[in-house]
Amino acid sequence: MYISDKSKLINTYDAIVIGSGISGGWAAMELCKKGLKTLLLERGRDVKHLIDYPTANLRPWDFKFGLNNTLTDIQQDPVQHAAYDPGNKHFFVSDHDHPYIQTKPFSWLRGYQVGGRSLTWGRQCYRLSDLDFEANKKEGIAVDWPIRYKDIAPWYSYAESHIGVSGQKENLSQLPDGEFLPPMELNCIEKHLATFLKENVQDRLLTIARVANLTRGWDNRGVCQNRNLCSRGCPFGGYFSSNSSTIPTAMATGNLTLRPFSVVSEILFDEHKQKAKGVRVIDTVTQEVIEFYSKIVFVNASTIATTGILLNSVSDRFPNGFGNGSGELGHNLMDHHSSAGAFGTHPEYTDMYYKGRRPAGFLIPRYRNLKDNENLNFTRGYNIQGHGERQEWMDKNPAGFGKDFKQQLTTPGPWAIWMAGWGECLPYYNNQVTLDKFQKDKWGQPLVNIDFSFEDNENKMMKDIESTSGEMLEKSGFQNIDTFIYNRPGGSTIHEMGTARMGRDPKTSVLNEFNQMHEAKNVFITDGSCMTSSGCQNPSLTYMALTARASNFAAEQLKRGQI
Amino acid sequence: MKADPIVDPHAFIQQRDLLAELVEIIIPTTDTPGAKAAGVHDYIIKVMMNCREPRAQSKFINGLEDLNAYSLDNYGKTFLKCTINEKTAILNHSEAHSEYKNRLINKISNKLLGRPFFTTLKDLTVQGYCTSELGATQGLAYDYIPGAYRACIPILKHQKSWATK
Repeated sequence: MYISDKSKLINTYDAIVIGSGISGGWAAMELCKKGLKTLLLERGRDVKHLIDYPTANLRPWDFKFGLNNTLTDIQQDPVQHAAYDPGNKHFFVSDHDHPYIQTKPFSWLRGYQVGGRSLTWGRQCYRLSDLDFEANKKEGIAVDWPIRYKDIAPWYSYAESHIGVSGQKENLSQLPDGEFLPPMELNCIEKHLATFLKENVQDRLLTIARVANLTRGWDNRGVCQNRNLCSRGCPFGGYFSSNSSTIPTAMATGNLTLRPFSVVSEILFDEHKQKAKGVRVIDTVTQEVIEFYSKIVFVNASTIATTGILLNSVSDRFPNGFGNGSGELGHNLMDHHSSAGAFGTHPEYTDMYYKGRRPAGFLIPRYRNLKDNENLNFTRGYNIQGHGERQEWMDKNPAGFGKDFKQQLTTPGPWAIWMAGWGECLPYYNNQVTLDKFQKDKWGQPLVNIDFSFEDNENKMMKDIESTSGEMLEKSGFQNIDTFIYNRPGGSTIHEMGTARMGRDPKTSVLNEFNQMHEAKNVFITDGSCMTSSGCQNPSLTYMALTARASNFAAEQLKRGQI
Repeated sequence: MKADPIVDPHAFIQQRDLLAELVEIIIPTTDTPGAKAAGVHDYIIKVMMNCREPRAQSKFINGLEDLNAYSLDNYGKTFLKCTINEKTAILNHSEAHSEYKNRLINKISNKLLGRPFFTTLKDLTVQGYCTSELGATQGLAYDYIPGAYRACIPILKHQKSWATK
């Protein structure tokens, strides 16, 4: 394609950010705040805060088939339909339009629109600690993280102070406290379990979830109204998303150009300068192929998609994918498992209830392998996430029919707790993302092939989760206890990580300690693909903190003429 | 494998009166509206036609026909012509034959043969009622915009369950 000098000028920015999800939104905001003219590319449609939340105010009976997905939905979206309902379906991709290959079952749940999955995320915000950053080195697994907690701690504070996280300080070394808005409140049965743990079990406590739901006005957004319909988009701005926060802030600087309907096919390499010179984009409306140029490129397309773009960006210098001298690109894919746990009902507190739908549960922070010599048959650990409530119509199945049945159905049932372990997944070289040589999508881009499975360590950990969570319920007086291991496929927790890991050595990692590509100094990757290990904490907060840190570094380097 | 044909919509429409009677027996009018007033029979037809596999559709239609056949065999009249006591007896029979006591056998049977007619009918009646405007706002308690979360409050006399989570 011929590009004149003039059009080249028009298509030139200081920075390009690929992807507008939770980390891309942060990169765009930070770079714009630093005065850089920034192009934010998004492969899907635009979603404007408040305006493009068509289901946000609908009541259950406003949906044609209740909250059932249609047969067509189920057939066309064999993976996504398990995660959506008619209330938020429009924020998930169509599997039919966006196919991928599963060597082993892997649920790749995606949202291709401005804001990406920041619209539908679970909003849990937990810091990693040195227990996590030091683990690989200590155990000789994979490679060492090139950073420690002290390097990221101020950036966690920076990110939390912007997004607004409600939570309770607990002074734990494995789960550092953050900058918190007032915590949400535990209900009767959750307090019961919390009290039991406090009084009877060492090293375990139950705390309210730390979530990006506002318990007071923040960042020009309103207080959470406890509707628990977050994933439809919040008309009150009660939770953080790119749409409600970072993108409008970036826009207000006057430095942002947001370009939806732009599929990035590859990153362009300048052989002369040994740097990226820009990106090639397919406009999905006009089918036009366009090149954009910039001094720096941030890749935030989400773990698997980011790696797909890099693998597809080949040149004489990088025949096996952009920045892939290490051969690690695409490898070490991780996802937390959240399949194992326990459920039980409790006979007490029948005279108590609650009002409102708190959009968050509780957390029992990690309590396994905090010390070196615990003699468990697995390494690393998990935290327990759950919630307590009284059983309602959807939970109980009274026998019979008629007047008594109706009475039972429409009055509060016993208190119950459901909880499960969110567990660390080790980085295995064989868990990988590749590009298929033959099959292509409708824009001619090669399909991604995902080959992932949980291994022995994860399976043993799940057994331990099942037994400790069942035991906690049993000892605190719960009945009808049901412990479970769902064996959900990889991807189900929607915490894909790894595939372009950070590390100290260019021979064994893709990125350095500032998320800067070892082999192309003006490329930064700050989505989940940068993760060297997974921890057991929900990872989005870490992506945001790393993004802010890397953006700051990139802007400084640019100012000094270092990149 | 050959795909099952989609059930003719008329087969459902023809059974609309029967379905209305059935849902009302399952969730009757009391001091709050019943399932018929809440339009649950129409909800079930819509959900069956649009959201369920053809195999489940056929099974449901067959279930309705079997119910009438049982009624004719045992009472000499169609279900709709039966007295309320007879209708109750027929539904008791239907429920008793819908599930196995053993959970595992139940699971296997559901997998091989699909969920039993009565289980599907009851589940959809509950779902349709509890998500309908009348059911959610009068049969249950619906809190559109709660505002604050009140974590532990004394339960009220005649407290109704919350309609949504």
